[in-house]
Amino acid sequence: MTGTAEAELERFTRGDIQAFEALFREYQGQVYGWIVRMVRDPGIAEDLTLETFWRVYLARSRFDPRRPFGAWTRRIATNLAIEYLSRRRAEKPLDHDPPQQRAPYAVPDPAVGADVRAKVLAAFGELPPKLCAAATLAMIEETPYAEIADALGISINGVKSRVFRAVRLLRRSLKKRGVCP
Amino acid sequence: MNERDEALKELVRRAAGGPADRELKRDLWPEMLRRLDRPPVRVPWFDWAAAALLLLCLLLFPEVIPAVLYQL
Repeated sequence: MTGTAEAELERFTRGDIQAFEALFREYQGQVYGWIVRMVRDPGIAEDLTLETFWRVYLARSRFDPRRPFGAWTRRIATNLAIEYLSRRRAEKPLDHDPPQQRAPYAVPDPAVGADVRAKVLAAFGELPPKLCAAATLAMIEETPYAEIADALGISINGVKSRVFRAVRLLRRSLKKRGVCP
Repeated sequence: MNERDEALKELVRRAAGGPADRELKRDLWPEMLRRLDRPPVRVPWFDWAAAALLLLCLLLFPEVIPAVLYQL
């Protein structure tokens, strides 16, 4: 880390708003990009990005300026995204909600039928939040295991285990719904 | 991952529409600044007084605790 960067982090820990603004502007894109991979909704990702920086600001006095700011921020963002996935899982969709309103953001492959797609997304939404986060990052976003492990604060084997359990649960859940990939 | 897992992964990826667009479309700093400028939440003095009064009542007349809990 350069002397200037460390000095800026030092000023941030003392509550300097200009230093915080510089860090915010430098890292907001990275934090958003990370969160949107997990929650797959741009609006929610923006809200969680703001919440992440709010928590970063509140915890500034506990931050050690010699440590990497990006990794610390990403860890906070990951925890917030997992909290959001827990809340979303707890909220049962209404029966009359059309499936596309529950579906995550991004354009699906038209070759996958709407019925199969709804079943896959419903099965994915039922995964426990920690498994859901690991599976989304690994299976949909194709994020390297090492990067997932770093953000989740677990080992690479831990990530592999979560993905394996997620795949097993998904297969079971899809089988119940009549989908056998 | 074995072949069946790869097939499941492919199905999930296609159903979800592939990787999300990771680019932030606007600057969030103005919103952050609004949040930083928001005054901290303050509890009015009469709320503290009411809470203290309630606590005092509960200490002096503990038999009302079930009635208070029932009302919650």
